Amino acid sequence: MSGKNEAAVKTRKKPLGLRIKNNIGFYLMFLPVFIFVLIIYYWPMLGIRYSFYSYKLRDIHWVGLEHFKNMFAAKEFWIAFKNTLIISIVKLLLNTFAAVLISIFLNEMTSLFCKKFIQTIIYLPHFMSYAVVAAIFTLFLSTSSTGMINETLKSWGWIDKSIDFLHTPSMWQPVFYIINLWKETGWGTVIFFATLSGISPELYEAAEIDGATRLQKMRYVTLPALSNTIIIVLILNLAKVLNIFEPVFVLYNNRVFEVSDVISTYVYRKTFLTAIPDYGYTTAVGLFKSMVGCILMLLSNFASKKVRGRGII
Amino acid sequence: MKKKIVSMLLSSVMIVSALAGCTSTEGTGETTQVTVTDKDGNQTTANVKEGLSTGDVVVDETGEATYEVKDLYIVVDGTLTATKDSGQDEFVAQWEAAVSEKLGHEVHLHINQLDHSDYAGTVSRLLTTGEPGDGSFPDALIMSATMFRQYQTTGLLWDMADAYDNAEFQSRVTLPNVNLNIRTPDGKQYGFAPTYGNGCVSYVKQSWLDAAGLKIEDIKTYDDYYNMLKAFSDGKTYGVIAAGFGKLDEAPYINYMPEFWQGAYPAIYQKPGTTEWIDGFQEQATIDALDRLAQAYKDGLIDPDTEEAGTKQAREKFFSNDQSTSEGVFTYWAGTWLRTLTTNMEKNDVDNDLGDDRLVQLPPIKEIQDTWGGYLNREAPVWVISNDGDDNSLREQAIFDALFETMLDGDTVQTLWTYGAKGVHWDTKAEEFVTNPDDPDKRKEYSYEEGEFHMLPSPGDANTLWKKNHLDSVLVIAPLTNGFTDNDPLVQAGNEFFTSHCVDAPTAASSERLAEINEDLTVDKTTWMKQVVAGEMTGAEAVAAYQEKWGSTIDEILAELNTPQ
Repeated sequence: MSGKNEAAVKTRKKPLGLRIKNNIGFYLMFLPVFIFVLIIYYWPMLGIRYSFYSYKLRDIHWVGLEHFKNMFAAKEFWIAFKNTLIISIVKLLLNTFAAVLISIFLNEMTSLFCKKFIQTIIYLPHFMSYAVVAAIFTLFLSTSSTGMINETLKSWGWIDKSIDFLHTPSMWQPVFYIINLWKETGWGTVIFFATLSGISPELYEAAEIDGATRLQKMRYVTLPALSNTIIIVLILNLAKVLNIFEPVFVLYNNRVFEVSDVISTYVYRKTFLTAIPDYGYTTAVGLFKSMVGCILMLLSNFASKKVRGRGII
Repeated sequence: MKKKIVSMLLSSVMIVSALAGCTSTEGTGETTQVTVTDKDGNQTTANVKEGLSTGDVVVDETGEATYEVKDLYIVVDGTLTATKDSGQDEFVAQWEAAVSEKLGHEVHLHINQLDHSDYAGTVSRLLTTGEPGDGSFPDALIMSATMFRQYQTTGLLWDMADAYDNAEFQSRVTLPNVNLNIRTPDGKQYGFAPTYGNGCVSYVKQSWLDAAGLKIEDIKTYDDYYNMLKAFSDGKTYGVIAAGFGKLDEAPYINYMPEFWQGAYPAIYQKPGTTEWIDGFQEQATIDALDRLAQAYKDGLIDPDTEEAGTKQAREKFFSNDQSTSEGVFTYWAGTWLRTLTTNMEKNDVDNDLGDDRLVQLPPIKEIQDTWGGYLNREAPVWVISNDGDDNSLREQAIFDALFETMLDGDTVQTLWTYGAKGVHWDTKAEEFVTNPDDPDKRKEYSYEEGEFHMLPSPGDANTLWKKNHLDSVLVIAPLTNGFTDNDPLVQAGNEFFTSHCVDAPTAASSERLAEINEDLTVDKTTWMKQVVAGEMTGAEAVAAYQEKWGSTIDEILAELNTPQ
């Protein structure tokens, strides 16, 4: 058979109806899942239409693009949008960088006991809820006489007056990043550590034969081996940057709204802390967030295709 | 073939089970026409929603329709102290038995007790997503005065003015103004206040006064108060703590730090004796109050935890067993709370040698007396009935009769709302019991004769006596007639102190535009207040920022409020 005929055989498909008929059992088994997906994931999406309605208590009426106009005119919305991007991206970069660094250090450790012990210690904060983490750090950083950090700094004579870490706009974001590093860096090392353990020892042996020092081995063997994983982690997380809510929600307060309010907390306040909320407005903000998230997802997919040859969706 | 049959069966089962949740077993709420006789004997036809789970229309042989409440769905906050863990089931069982007997048919009470801190938000969601009588939609619910003003204009609440005027308990009402004051200018009454509002007083630890060589009767002015706080503060301890420098989301806003706020009122209000609505946040009194708070904060007299503390955190720090980081003054609710705070200090072994004299109540300082005339008695929280939107009041009147008429019956049901369930929270039988049996310092023996009313150990804490349920026997507008009174001298002293040192707080404004922006306004005002206290801006700068952002909107609201109806 010629090559041309082979291709023709390969591309010829049976009609869809016939394929369904032949595999009716499988299609029937798939049907409930399909219906389930439609009901659970797509039916609620019909609620998107409320972004074009005023929806207060039981008074629902069409307002067209009014909510979007109000949203784009609201200073608070743009502050939240800007903060969402800054906080999420800086957090992502810092957490990834720290996780890579710690993974490499752990990989260099020769004592298995120490390595396991440190891994366990740094993984633990991940399993604490953000509410607990916030309570702990709020207590530690309090300006009251029960605040351990301030009292310690005062007793050492480093400061005279307590520093209001969580209520000072210039300090809130750095403190937030540090708390997040403490909580999530350990867990972030898992994927990098897995990659490191997959690097062939022969590469290190070859580098050693070539006279590479320990640092050079890290520079020329370990880091290049990790680079693909680092990029994939960054790309995958980029698609989720607008979803940040819980870590901010448990740590922010009125005095630092300018630097801490993100879209999700803005929507939360407008929806759940308002006596009679307009669900139409908050749906409009949510829809805008989803659209931007969708664009980021497509960009990530594009970047993923470029980097590793296949997309993430 | 067998595989196909099995897969079809499996698929069918999964689809049916998935869709089962989409059906409703609740009432259909269809409308039917019935004959209704009004209070003057005139008969008219009316459209009534039937088949709702709340109850049903019953038409007698003459064709007259009445509404029988079968299942009453109420939503309450933390002020119903008989919670699920503290004998609520017994309270409900005894309520159902007593009310069913009164009404002549069976009625079931369904209580949805919401988280106190997110009450307003959850109520809003319940009222948005449900329909009257669907089982989750409240037939009746509690609202704070602020919440009530926001809902008053929505059409969701039933005007109960007639029902209230014709209620059986009217002959026993001793405080008629409490409910008359919440009526709209055109005479509509959308809420029912079974008690007056109550307010906060400043509690001072006697041991701290003694240590500072001070006497409570010498604290007469703001300067005296300030000096007392100074004497209490040493860098580790603080003069005062509260759940916020001001609670700007709930009237009367200033009651947690009244000595600093003095004559200020940071909201839209009418000055006592006037009818003009003004914005108190823009007044010089507010600027001065914010600056006073800032100075005291800077001087280390206000516990910094005040900024974010909720009431629970503030309370617990005040009566903590670690008094080395505590505070000398705590402004909190009057009456029963004097007993509760004292009991908690006792539990934590704080000032055990002082017994019930651990706390003294500070009379309003001169600056409060000269402006308001005393501590502010807040507008009373109210019960409201949801309006089903048909053209008659059969369902709503039936709910009023089942819930509010009985709530103030002066006897069995009022006792349930006031003290809780018999045999669980209180009793009249002869008995003896001991609290703290294993602690010789705290051990107390109680002995009662047959027929003697007395409280029982709390269902949640056998070492503490139960205090009250939802209604405060002292604050209620129509007192009990069965003679059941809690004779706790501390509670009585607390109530007497407050009633002799209080004045009514200004009425909250009710405006649609205000309701729309109220949350954003509150967030901004709270932020500026905190920034002033932290020293990031002055009181004058805060008010200037407020005027720049909200000035024109507030002017619109004031114009709306001051326009004659």
